Amino acid sequence: MGALNKESYVVLGCIGIRLFVSLLFPSLQHQLDQAVEFSTPMTSFKSLYEGIYLLKNHIQVYDGGVVHHPVLLVWFFSQIPSEFLIDLLYAFIDGIIGYQLIQITKYLRKCTIPCWVVGAVYALNPLVLLSCVSRSSIIFTNLFISSALLYVLQGNILITAACIAIAGYLSVYPTLLLIPLLNMVRTTNRKVLTLVISLLTWQILLLLSYNVNGHDWNFLSATYGELITFGKVFPNLGLWWYFFVEMFDAFIPFFKAVFNLFLFSFIIPLTLRFHKQSLYAFVLCIGWIVLMKPYPTLGDSGFFLSFIPFFSPVFGYLRYPIFSSLLLLHGILLSPIFYHLWIDLGSGNSNFFYAISLVYALGLASILADLTWALLRYEYDDGKPNYKTKLTQI
Amino acid sequence: MGLFERVQRQVIARGLIPKVISLLPLISTLCIVLGIVIIGILPFEGQYRNTYISENALMPSQAYSYFRESEWNIVRGYRSQIVELRNASAVERNAIMSEWLQQFGTKTDIYQNHETGDTLYGVFHAPRGDGTESMVLAIPWFNADGEFNVNGAALGVALARYFSRWPVWSKNIIVVFTENPKAALRSWVEAYHTSLDLTGGSIEAAIVLDFAGEGDLFDYMEIYYDGLNGELPNLDMVNIGVFTAEHEGMKVSLHGTPFDKIKEDTLFSRLKILMSSIKNSALSGVKKTYGNEAFSGWRIQSVTLRARGQNGPFDVTSFGRVPEAMFRSINNLLEKFHQSFFFYLMLAPRHFVSISSYLPSTVAISIGFALASLNSYFNNPYYTLPFFSLYTLLSILFWFVSLVVTFIVSNIFIYSPFPTILLAVNIIICLYPAILKGNAFMKDLLSYRLRSTAFLFMSLLLTSLLMVNFPLAFGMGLLSFPMTQVKTITSDTPTISRTRVKNSVLLLVSNPFIATWLFSLLCDNEFSGLDVFERLVSASRELGCWTWLVLCVGWWTPWLLVAISALDTVKLSNDSEDFKKQQ
Repeated sequence: MGALNKESYVVLGCIGIRLFVSLLFPSLQHQLDQAVEFSTPMTSFKSLYEGIYLLKNHIQVYDGGVVHHPVLLVWFFSQIPSEFLIDLLYAFIDGIIGYQLIQITKYLRKCTIPCWVVGAVYALNPLVLLSCVSRSSIIFTNLFISSALLYVLQGNILITAACIAIAGYLSVYPTLLLIPLLNMVRTTNRKVLTLVISLLTWQILLLLSYNVNGHDWNFLSATYGELITFGKVFPNLGLWWYFFVEMFDAFIPFFKAVFNLFLFSFIIPLTLRFHKQSLYAFVLCIGWIVLMKPYPTLGDSGFFLSFIPFFSPVFGYLRYPIFSSLLLLHGILLSPIFYHLWIDLGSGNSNFFYAISLVYALGLASILADLTWALLRYEYDDGKPNYKTKLTQI
Repeated sequence: MGLFERVQRQVIARGLIPKVISLLPLISTLCIVLGIVIIGILPFEGQYRNTYISENALMPSQAYSYFRESEWNIVRGYRSQIVELRNASAVERNAIMSEWLQQFGTKTDIYQNHETGDTLYGVFHAPRGDGTESMVLAIPWFNADGEFNVNGAALGVALARYFSRWPVWSKNIIVVFTENPKAALRSWVEAYHTSLDLTGGSIEAAIVLDFAGEGDLFDYMEIYYDGLNGELPNLDMVNIGVFTAEHEGMKVSLHGTPFDKIKEDTLFSRLKILMSSIKNSALSGVKKTYGNEAFSGWRIQSVTLRARGQNGPFDVTSFGRVPEAMFRSINNLLEKFHQSFFFYLMLAPRHFVSISSYLPSTVAISIGFALASLNSYFNNPYYTLPFFSLYTLLSILFWFVSLVVTFIVSNIFIYSPFPTILLAVNIIICLYPAILKGNAFMKDLLSYRLRSTAFLFMSLLLTSLLMVNFPLAFGMGLLSFPMTQVKTITSDTPTISRTRVKNSVLLLVSNPFIATWLFSLLCDNEFSGLDVFERLVSASRELGCWTWLVLCVGWWTPWLLVAISALDTVKLSNDSEDFKKQQ
């Protein structure tokens, strides 16, 4: 009973904090929505709002080139009557994600951390908190990713398949997570079933979108097209934008393909290598997508970092946690400052911001690499930690 | 990777890691020394560079300056009229000046502000421009010392008249007359970018004229360039000021170098200007403001030109030729100022160091704090405990609470400053460990973790401040460093009372308010008594300078944590319940 109480406190606290911050600082949402760290053209609430307006006034949503949110999301928001309900919805969704993380922890036999701690880490994670307050639409993708993970652990492949399809519908790249997810499904029959269901769900969603969008397929290029081809070269924390600012036009399509391929290329190897630790493979794939996607926000990395408590059995094997966390900390702290120097004061330039986003990417990458190493060491030691032995990587 | 592995194996084989960890306090102190040395060697021959005009389009003093004999009587005429306005009200002064400006076709308007005083400004539209860019000539009626800026105002209107007859301008010229160079000018700049109707496009550069008195002559020129919050104008802007002034034969002084010392170019003179430039930039807005500070934060390159002395060989028109030539230079620009340095320190009017030379010093100081943080994490009997323990969480909680407290106190202080109470409270906090002796209330592990959090925060703060406001980061790093030497007191500590006294002294010295106060009294003759606090607050309120906030939130917060950690503690002994539970 005590444990249960703690968990519900955590979830309620998670919702409470978010509502508290949103209602106490009403201007914060707008400010965060302006910050490149929390908002991209693909996830910004401002453009979503524009989409709602257009939809309500029966104007083609995607003609203006401003809105890149999926049709159904815009439609869903156009049904919400008040601002307060939107705040409530966002807070509530974060609460659900926190709850799902707690539930997922229960399926980890080796995890030494109490379940509620995982939820508390999510609830107090400032990145997720601020991302939620900024009303970034990435939270919906995150919700469906964590739902997919939870239901696959519960063995409910129907919902899993639907959830991952919805996550993919919302922002394409989570579709790749289907691969590690299939690895978590037991028999071949069920795997095929999952695949079929998620494809079906996806088709249905697209057809629904087609209908809602006034029988026009133009939403495909405005949402997925723009996302995959990095249509809007906006500065963000990712690795893409700087390349495409500097590049000769002739090379751009080629390198966009390369970047996408690169993103894809690590998913299958990670899944194969950790097929016995399938949940960890799933988490590492999330991390890899967060690192490599064209429009990442701090909300993405906050979501990924919330999974790190799952790795508690292998914490002892981490080789440079201080290094990685300092890198990430500095990257996150300095990025708004360098952006300010570049955009507001004019005394810096784009190299400043890109340099710091590289530091941030290096931080994420070193966390990923370190976790991978720790998992491999754990496997090598066969579950009986032996910190004395020193192994070389090669 | 192979090399890395080999190094790693050697390090482990020789047991270097425990050795390094036990030497952390020493290494951290060495980092600070290194930071000082890096700054200290800058004035040596070969470490600094000579200034040069980086943007070729500027071509300072390439055109002949015509603001000479023909304008002499005009300046004098305006001056004799302005002298009579000395006791007139601001409204009268502005009305007359506005009439003069309109006589030669300048559009004028008055920006009304009841708190800071009205500001008159006129826009002369460029004959050859598209009207999207402008240059500002700002003249405070009363300068930083409160003197009536007679010559400055006369020059301002005479220059405006003279410029209006020229067809060469490709940027609009805005003439601004404000009551003072501080809040009034600042509020006008803000209003220009937010609410004013009559505007002349984005301001590229601004020159503030300061020539008090009615005499014809002056000895030398002083240039002020420090912006608020660590901002500096592009080095090219300072350079064209220095180049054009020296082209006219004047000597240029930076950071209050007296006339007889300007010629000196020795190690000591360079060191002195370097130190003053760090100090003045760190205290910019807090010290007297000469006008150029008002333009900070809007991508405007600004300098203040001030005439000093009264008997020299130069007359009013030669002072006027400097802004004339500078405006001609800026007028040539096709792009914004971007070529030259935005981050630099001056050692002489023609010597500077760029950021790559001086930045490492504060990086070293920041690393020093990070190492101090690691030191208090590792160098105690409990380093084997997991990171996520109750005590770490407690220390983070303490940090968060003191962050909120310092933020609230700093904001309250802005509206009702009581410096004496603030100092008294801080002194009491310093002496508290000695007063409370024997009454231990926390475990020694918490004390270590508190310091660890505090120093990590300080290190992160210094790193964040590094690029934005280097002088402030450097000064704060140096002055707050003594607090890394504070030691935890347990019952095992040998010479317990000596440690207590030492802790109290270290806390006193590194307290943000006491240290700032002592620094202002010892290192600058502009401050007296406690007025540094009032000035910090007024800079924050009137100019939007965030030095006060940084002192409170950035420095006071970790200091409070360190002060708490200096209280007496109980040993979290090996056989206690806590320790077992933690393990």
